[in-house]
Amino acid sequence: MLNYVWIGLVLIGVLAAASTDIYDASTNRYRNGEPFELQYDSTSAAGGTISYSREYYDKFYGVDVDSPDTISYRADLTGSSINIYTEEDSPEIWKTVAKTDDNSKLITAKVLSRHGDMMTILLPTTSLVKTKAVLDALISYSELAVKIALGLIGVMAFWLGIMKLAEDSGMIKIIARILKPVMVRIFPDIPPDHPAIGAMIMNMAANMLGLNNAATPLGLKAMEHLESLNPHKGTATNSMITFLAINTAGLTLIPATAIAVRAALGSKDPTIILMTSFFGAGLATIAGIVAAKILQRLKIYRIDDKLDGNQPDSGGSN
Amino acid sequence: MIKDILQALSIVAIPFIIAAFVAYAARKKVPVYESFVAGAKGGFEVAIKIIPYLVAMLVAIGIFRASGAMEILVKLLAPAANLIGMPPQVVPMALLRPLTGSGSLGLMADIMKRYGPDSFIGILVSTMYGSSETTFYVLAVYFGAVNVYRTRHAVAAGLIADAVGMLGALLICRLLFG
Repeated sequence: MLNYVWIGLVLIGVLAAASTDIYDASTNRYRNGEPFELQYDSTSAAGGTISYSREYYDKFYGVDVDSPDTISYRADLTGSSINIYTEEDSPEIWKTVAKTDDNSKLITAKVLSRHGDMMTILLPTTSLVKTKAVLDALISYSELAVKIALGLIGVMAFWLGIMKLAEDSGMIKIIARILKPVMVRIFPDIPPDHPAIGAMIMNMAANMLGLNNAATPLGLKAMEHLESLNPHKGTATNSMITFLAINTAGLTLIPATAIAVRAALGSKDPTIILMTSFFGAGLATIAGIVAAKILQRLKIYRIDDKLDGNQPDSGGSN
Repeated sequence: MIKDILQALSIVAIPFIIAAFVAYAARKKVPVYESFVAGAKGGFEVAIKIIPYLVAMLVAIGIFRASGAMEILVKLLAPAANLIGMPPQVVPMALLRPLTGSGSLGLMADIMKRYGPDSFIGILVSTMYGSSETTFYVLAVYFGAVNVYRTRHAVAAGLIADAVGMLGALLICRLLFG
C-alpha cells in the first residue's frame, strides 16, 4: 500500500503543480509585463523605501490581502533597476515573485519612469512557480533525508550499545516479564521471553516520556528482533504492523514540542493541552491496535505463501 | 503538580536507566565496555540502511507539499470538515500531520501566531499536533531498517490511528473549550 501512497503523492503533486501553473499563466496571476506604480522615498543616494497602498495592490492583482493600508519595503536604486527587499509579512504574490526570481527575498525590478516621488516599475517575469518549487523540493528533501539519517548515527550507536548491554545482562528479559500479560495479548505471535518484547517495551516507554532521541533507536532494535522471527523476509509481520500502529499514534505523557511552541507564543497556559492530547493520542493508540488486528484478517492483507523463497532482496535483516 | 512530576521524570529517566543498566550488567559479570561497543557498532549500519527509504518518502512528500496540492485538497475537504464541526483553519494540520513532522510543527506555530495560542483554534491545533506522530516517517524508517518493503496493512492501520487521533482531539476540545 505504501506503493500506492508513493505514486499518489508524486503524481498528484506533479499534476497539481502543472495545472496551477497553467491556470496562473492563463489568468496572468503575476501580471507579467504590466507596469506597477509606487512611491519612492530616498533616504540616501542609493537607498530608501518604496510604498504603495493596499487598495492599489488588491486592484492590481485582483486579490484581497490581509495587511496594513500602506505596504512598504526597503529598496536600493541601482541605475535603471531597483532592488526591493521583501519581508516575512509582505503580501504573498511579491514574496512568490522574489522566491521564483532568484530563490531569495530580493526582487530586482526595472525602473520604467520616475517623476519626483512617483515611480513606475516592471517586476521580473514570473512563471512556472509551482514547477520550480517542485524541482527545488526534489533536491532539498533528498538532502534532508540524508541529513536526518546521518544525524541519527551517534544517538543510534549509543542506544544500541546500551541495549546490547541490557540484553547481555538479562535486564531486557526481566522488563519483558513484568509487562508480559499485556504484551502477550497485543503480540500473540511473539514468544513471551523473546528479546523483541523487551525492546518494544523500552521503545514505548521512551515514547511515553517524550524521549524521541531514544525512542527511534530502541524501536529499530525492536524491529530487528521482530524481523528475526519473520518467516517471509521483505514482508511485514502482524506484530510489526501492530507495533508501528502504536508508534504512529504517538502516545506521550508530555507533548513537549507543542507545549514549548505554545509557551514561546505567549500562551497563558501552555500545558493545557496535556490532558487533551493524551486523550487524542490514547484514542489513536486503541484505534491503531484494533485496526491492525482487524485488517490483518482481511484477504488482501494476508501473507501469500507463494512469495516464499524467491525474494529479490531478503538480505541484510540480521 | 502532576505536570512537574512528569517533566522531572522525563529528565531523570535517561541517566537513571543508563546507570541501572550498567550497574546490573556489571553485577552479572558482563564485560560492560566490550558489550556496549559491540552493540554500538550497529548504529552506523542502521542509519545508512534507512537512507534510500527516507529519500523515497521525503522526496514524495516534498513534491506534494511544494506543488500546492495541499491547498486544493483543503478546499475540496472544507464542506466535510464543516459537517463535523472542524474549523477550516485546522484542516491543513489534519492532512499534514502524518506526512511531515517539521512541516506540521511550522504549521502549528503559524496558526497559533495568527489566532493566539489560547484561542479555541490555538488549543485545538496544538492538541492535534500532540495527538499523533509522523506516520510516514515512522513507516519509512522502521521498515527501512529491516528492509521490509511489502508493508501490507501498515499504512491503513497507521492512517486510521491518525484519523481517530485528529477526531479525538476535535471531540475533547469541543467538549472542554467550546
